[in-house]
Amino acid sequence: MSIGGFILRNAVRNKRRALLSILSVAVSLFLLVTLLVGLRELTQPPTDEASAARIVVRNKISLGNLLPRRQRATIEKIPGVAAVTPFTWFGGKFRDEEVMFGQFAIEPKLLLTIFGEAKMPPEQFEAFVNDPTACIIGIKTAEKYGLKLGEFMKLQGTFWPIDLNLKLVGIYADGIDDRNLFFHHRQLDEMPNNTGEVGTWWVKAASLEDVGPVVQTINAAFANTTAAVRAETERAFQLSFISMWGNIKMLVLSICSVVVFTLVLVSASTMSMAVRERFRELAILKAIGFRRRELFAFILAESFGLAAAGAVIGVGGAWGIFNHTDLVASASQNFMVLFEVTPRIMGQACFVATLLGIVASIAPSLSVARMSVVEGLKTLD
Amino acid sequence: MALPLRYNVRSVLIRWRSTLSTIFGIGLVVAVYIMMQSLAVGLEKSSANTGDPRNLLLVRKGSTAETSSQVTREQFKLLQYLPDIEKDEKGEPLISADTLILISLPRKGAAGEANILVRGVSKVGMQLRPQVRLTQGRMFEGGRREVVVSQKLAERFDNLGIGESFKTGGHQLQVVGWFDGNKSAFDSEIWMDSDDARSLFDRENYSSVLLRSDPTQWGALTNRVESDKRLSLSVIPETKYYSNQTATATPIRFLGNFLATAMSVGAIFAAMNTMYASVGARTREVGTLRVLGFRRRAILIGFLLEGAILAFLGGLIGCLLSLPINHYSTGTLNFQTFSEVVFEFNITPHLILKGLVFAVSVGLIGSLMPAIRASRLPVIASLKSL
Repeated sequence: MSIGGFILRNAVRNKRRALLSILSVAVSLFLLVTLLVGLRELTQPPTDEASAARIVVRNKISLGNLLPRRQRATIEKIPGVAAVTPFTWFGGKFRDEEVMFGQFAIEPKLLLTIFGEAKMPPEQFEAFVNDPTACIIGIKTAEKYGLKLGEFMKLQGTFWPIDLNLKLVGIYADGIDDRNLFFHHRQLDEMPNNTGEVGTWWVKAASLEDVGPVVQTINAAFANTTAAVRAETERAFQLSFISMWGNIKMLVLSICSVVVFTLVLVSASTMSMAVRERFRELAILKAIGFRRRELFAFILAESFGLAAAGAVIGVGGAWGIFNHTDLVASASQNFMVLFEVTPRIMGQACFVATLLGIVASIAPSLSVARMSVVEGLKTLD
Repeated sequence: MALPLRYNVRSVLIRWRSTLSTIFGIGLVVAVYIMMQSLAVGLEKSSANTGDPRNLLLVRKGSTAETSSQVTREQFKLLQYLPDIEKDEKGEPLISADTLILISLPRKGAAGEANILVRGVSKVGMQLRPQVRLTQGRMFEGGRREVVVSQKLAERFDNLGIGESFKTGGHQLQVVGWFDGNKSAFDSEIWMDSDDARSLFDRENYSSVLLRSDPTQWGALTNRVESDKRLSLSVIPETKYYSNQTATATPIRFLGNFLATAMSVGAIFAAMNTMYASVGARTREVGTLRVLGFRRRAILIGFLLEGAILAFLGGLIGCLLSLPINHYSTGTLNFQTFSEVVFEFNITPHLILKGLVFAVSVGLIGSLMPAIRASRLPVIASLKSL
């Protein structure tokens, strides 16, 4: 029997224990991957190349305060600005429920200029531009509510004192976030008692080099007005949302460390259990001339193998479930959309598994090293 | 005849070295469970603690949060003279027009910014909210750009100490006092004069109106307000408004339950491993017990009990581990108001009990199969085994 075969036979000799150890490692690694993916989803907003040239302008006091419509003309005149659209969060109820999809009032003509990445048939886009009561939605929301083109969607305003009845004329896909609804800003502008306000301005810079100067110019242009603004890149804007989550990041990270610690603890104890059972055998191996180093290698290889098997099941399982099914999106009602296991996260989990294999073999190796052959041979248990 | 309980307890304790890691593992699972749930409990409590059972809140029809509501000055004037409003000792009606503004302020330690709710209140605003108490400094005075700040908020954000000032909307606001909201939603707010707030932040209207009225008069008052065409406001009991805001805790509860389930599966495997090893090592002992006349069922129950005891010890450790976090103050985003909500981890006796029950169930499930195996060991063969 080769050394490899010997180690393998040893590892699976107690099949039940091997299985239980592998499964507990697998469950823990699965959990670790889930947490890391969730954390990534919460803290790393999805971006693409186009978003680097987009600038978000909000009220300096906070996002909860609106901006006057008159600012648009000023922003449009700034050199380096390619297009400006109002972008106002509506936040209405749909079918008498609070919903997870965003509803935004925009300038339809500029939709493709500023947000170029989503795909939509050109005739649908045209229908959207030409009909002031029209709206478009992302495919995820359309599927969730079973919405068809031509259908009317009633949105009850909560933040805005108006109810909308919008005709669905287009469904887009392959955008960063295929959930949102867009409608004409005119609907808000023509509201009774309207004070002429918008939520934010979204600005497209002519080129990436223009972004910095445009941000500065916009900030300076309204600095001493009643509505001072904060202009920032889309990414900085998204990150400011994450800062609002508060201590969530720390919380998830500390849970991750507890999970890793528990993992190490449990597997280390299983490993030492396996070794303790074989104390006599190891003593015999020692007696017939195997060196300590070789015994260490046996133990290490076995613990490593168990950890690796656990990693394959746990990390592989997470990858299979998260990257190839919509389970998480539907379970969280589209609160988590991407939920993707990245190579980086896989690497991190495999690193933990490796560490686990090494740490778990330390305690048994120590006891083997300390064991005297005679004592070991005498052991009955 | 059942095995004496002492035998089971001592069996667990005598093998403490090999079971320690399992006990500790279960302890950690329980600790995570209790901490997550205490976070959700604390968050829900901060909503449940808020509001006075005698108060009514008036917001614009259709609006779901105070921050998105508007009440005009004309409407407020009409409301002031409603007959059913209680009066204070000076004969002033107990009614406050509040102005709510979200402002973005930097967190301590350069950890980004967060939205905070600034509440402008009328003179009687404090009287209407008896759980709010000034702890240091003095109350703000109208017209002087002064604010009082929740003490818990001041610990989390820059420039909110007494005597310090911060800039927002082009104006410098002076902090003159700290208050304590007694674990209510007001612990996440900054207070100032309502008309000051309107003029500084360029608001034409108030946001909401809070008034005190005898609950027996609520029906009449609600009728009067909601049938008045000039008002177009809806009336909600203040306590109900805040209890509707507990939805923020739902994702935390969900995460907590998910973690507890996933980790408990791991813990069950660990407990199983330990108990199988225990059964394996004590094969001969079990045989002896059977020869002495103990029945299979006694053996089964004995091992189940051992698993339960083991897990219970783990549960106790978990409770101890989680206790230091009790009353630790933290903050997250409230979806309804879109602002920072400050709250405390809140470990209740109920949660401790749940944690222990949770631990014992893990122990029982984990030891079921090993116990069945032990009870089925053939007597003679096990006596012979080494």
